[in-house]
Amino acid sequence: MGGATKRWRVRSEAGRMLFIGIYLLFVLIPLYWMFITSIKPSDDYLAVPPVWFPSQPTLVHYNAALFAYRGLTGLMNSIVVSLSATALSAFFGTLMAYSFARFNTGGRHLSFWVLSQRFLPPIAVVLPIFLIYRTFGLHDTRFGLIIAYTVFTLPVSVWMMFAYFRQMPKSMEDAALVDGCTRWQAFWQVAVPLAAPGIVAAAVFAFIACWTEFFFALILTSRYAFTLPTVFRAFLGFQGAQYGEASALAIASLVPSIALGVLAQRHLVRGLTLGAVRG
Amino acid sequence: MAVSSGLEQGARVGALPPLSAFSNWSDRNFKWLLIAPAVILILALSVYPLLFSVWVAFVNYDFQVPGHAFVGLKNFSLVIFDPVARWSLALTAMLSAANVILEFALGLALALAMVRNFAGRGLVMSIIIVPLFISPVIVGQAWALLLQRPFGPTNYILGKIIGSEVAIGWLTESPWIYISLILADVWQWTPFMFVILLAGLTSIPPNLYEAAELDGVNAWQAFWAITVPHLAPMMLLALAFRLLDAVKLFDTIFIMTGGGPGTKTYTASFYLYTVGFTQFHLSQATAGSWIFLVLTAIIVGLLVRRLLRAEAQ
Amino acid sequence: MARVKISGLHKHFGAVPAVRGVDLDIADGEFTVLVGPSGCGKSTLLRTIAGLEEVSEGTIEIGGDVVNDMRPRDRDIAMVFQDYALYPHMTVERNIGFGLKARKLPPPEVAKRVKRAAEMLGITAFLPRYPRQLSGGQRQRVAIGRAIVRNPRLFLFDEPLSNLDAQLRDGMRAEIKRLHQEIGTTMIYVTHDQIEAMTLADRIVLMRDGVVEQQGAPLELFERPATRFVAGFLGSPQMSFLPGRLLNGAGELRLTLGDGSLVLPLPQAKKLGGAADGQNVLLGLRPEHMTRAHGEPGQGVVRYDATIELVQPTGSRSYATFRLAGQPVIAELQAHDVGRPGEKLAIDINLQRASIFDAGTERTL
Repeated sequence: MGGATKRWRVRSEAGRMLFIGIYLLFVLIPLYWMFITSIKPSDDYLAVPPVWFPSQPTLVHYNAALFAYRGLTGLMNSIVVSLSATALSAFFGTLMAYSFARFNTGGRHLSFWVLSQRFLPPIAVVLPIFLIYRTFGLHDTRFGLIIAYTVFTLPVSVWMMFAYFRQMPKSMEDAALVDGCTRWQAFWQVAVPLAAPGIVAAAVFAFIACWTEFFFALILTSRYAFTLPTVFRAFLGFQGAQYGEASALAIASLVPSIALGVLAQRHLVRGLTLGAVRG
Repeated sequence: MAVSSGLEQGARVGALPPLSAFSNWSDRNFKWLLIAPAVILILALSVYPLLFSVWVAFVNYDFQVPGHAFVGLKNFSLVIFDPVARWSLALTAMLSAANVILEFALGLALALAMVRNFAGRGLVMSIIIVPLFISPVIVGQAWALLLQRPFGPTNYILGKIIGSEVAIGWLTESPWIYISLILADVWQWTPFMFVILLAGLTSIPPNLYEAAELDGVNAWQAFWAITVPHLAPMMLLALAFRLLDAVKLFDTIFIMTGGGPGTKTYTASFYLYTVGFTQFHLSQATAGSWIFLVLTAIIVGLLVRRLLRAEAQ
Repeated sequence: MARVKISGLHKHFGAVPAVRGVDLDIADGEFTVLVGPSGCGKSTLLRTIAGLEEVSEGTIEIGGDVVNDMRPRDRDIAMVFQDYALYPHMTVERNIGFGLKARKLPPPEVAKRVKRAAEMLGITAFLPRYPRQLSGGQRQRVAIGRAIVRNPRLFLFDEPLSNLDAQLRDGMRAEIKRLHQEIGTTMIYVTHDQIEAMTLADRIVLMRDGVVEQQGAPLELFERPATRFVAGFLGSPQMSFLPGRLLNGAGELRLTLGDGSLVLPLPQAKKLGGAADGQNVLLGLRPEHMTRAHGEPGQGVVRYDATIELVQPTGSRSYATFRLAGQPVIAELQAHDVGRPGEKLAIDINLQRASIFDAGTERTL
């Protein structure tokens, strides 16, 4: 032991860092390339060798993406739809999860049915919804997309809140019942404030799911209610000048993604560092 | 405690006012009222559409043809005998398998590497998990930009490394198209495996490893004897979830290859999309999606049973 | 103040029975303790009285009203929970006043009552603070304050001291006893700790497996246990049980212990109903029934030369383990009376106070 182990340890530590370093490069390179593409003047696209960093960065693509390609409309729609669906999903999901956790409503069958909705292939569901929406005039409406997204994110919201309520002691709700509350009052005044962290977590996941969703939006929206991801259709089959707009729009959409990613990470790390273990 | 301060003298508090009829009824049925909105939504936007689509699959619902005549199993046979449909199913299976396996291996390696704390670990973790929060369309966009020919950086760099010019059509030639799609998927979803596996790893009590070291067990043996058994249920969970999501592959295909060249990168979802929304053979697409649904349900059923059995142990 | 009457109560969770036929009649102002090992149904029973669980069969009456279908909020009761159950997002003042506010009492009245309850419990300084800023003992007082402020007719306590350290527990126990003396409301108290039961109760209800094993005044259960379970549950260290056989001959009862090496004459006073010759029994000896031999052995006292095996000192007293006919027995002796392991000591065993149980039914003879 002694010397040999020490050398092995140092080498494995270096190897580990190298691996992590390479992976980080793997993650960052596409993002970096997309970022500089968004600020390159159009001429640079045709340059060989490729321009690694533009000498004259420009914001013209952002302008075009947001306005000429109606990226701003898509952005607004995405915000409205995602926030609304998130609110509905978190609210209804919390209600249902509480019922499951405290009263075991519907037993295993009901909860299984709800959770299994997550595994439905979207194509199977969105085709008939498309037809139904057209009949009811819900096609290409924000409302139609909002309720579709609500149903689409419900299973995960329910699941997360169900797990949260299950580990939350019910003695405070009991105390409220004895103190003078009806079931609804005990739920709303005691259980919900206590479950706030869980609700926030569920909301974050629901929001990201709605913000990044493409398939439903592609089929259920058209000229008015289209969301940010669908704007990228316009850039299909690159015609040179569009590289910049596509990248600009992509970078713009990344803002909430990255922000929420960092937020989620802090949560995760707190939970995971508590048990940092020998590799 | 202070001596009595008269709390009991005439301090009887009044009874609560009786509940209104509505409050009384809603309190008694509280647990049902709580689930009502969610259940109604799911019935309206999942159950009803699925039932409706059963009907659609058996009639002739086509924007180009008037009327909805009953056609029996014609739509189903159209799909089953379509070679593109069969190819798309095979491709879906192969791509999903490749994606999941690679993501698992990479995620596990990453989790093992990140288990120990080090300076800047938090920042590294943020960077690693960001791809999870990005729209798959954007992921496809980013990789398309990197891989495109002739002005993308990939071919240029490869050419520099190899020494001669590289002109690979990453998005237009087989078999490179498959590699591109796998790259994009692995880039996005490896963190998913990573997070779950890391959570599993950090839940293993460190004294198991300490005891093993005292016994003279080396790292490789410790991995197989301690880490793997503890991690097995998590691994299974991660694999099951990722697999069920992987078979829905659509977004990156749409942006990166558009299904091409020809129909070479048609996954099941993309095939059904094409049939339903570019050719508008809606009944045929519906029939196909039902077949796909049944296949998925079978896989879900098998995986759930396996998971439940693992949990029971 | 209210009388509580429970008749034929059954409660099961699906197929699992928790309470299997309990009858209780608690007088107005009485302090009743439900005690027993975990899983005996005492908490479930308490929660059905509170209305937090539904009754499967039977009736519950509080103050003459049948409350089976009444919501907890309408039963005019208060409950103190094991984990205090304080609302974390409210100040202590709002916690205590929560029930009053729910009853639409005017705010100045609420404030007055809250202040009075806080004074009574010595927690006035904590009123503006949040539960997370308080220690366990302080939180428990707030929980009690929340209960007393409404002046209900019945108090329920669900193992309120289990989460406190031992020292704190002793102090709080005395305070709860004093509280009862001061306000005199009917109280039902659940615990698994037999010391709490003995010191607090006017009446102990000892439960086991969903039924009442025995109920009565603490000293009654202690000195005249109905079954071996009751005898073994109360008293620390536990009563020693020695198997033996009865010999009923010539009007004199004797007891053969264990391996037959010892025969004890049973005092006349021990009239054992239904004792048959040759019956297998258990002899129950409490540690305090044995003392170091001095003077002449009294009526019904047997002197025995014991070899001390183990000594556990606790300060003024020591617990000495020795064997009686091969069975281990613990005696509580004065610390200076006990020698060291291996030494021989003459012990006086008072058989007048001993209990005899039928070995099969485990009931007292």
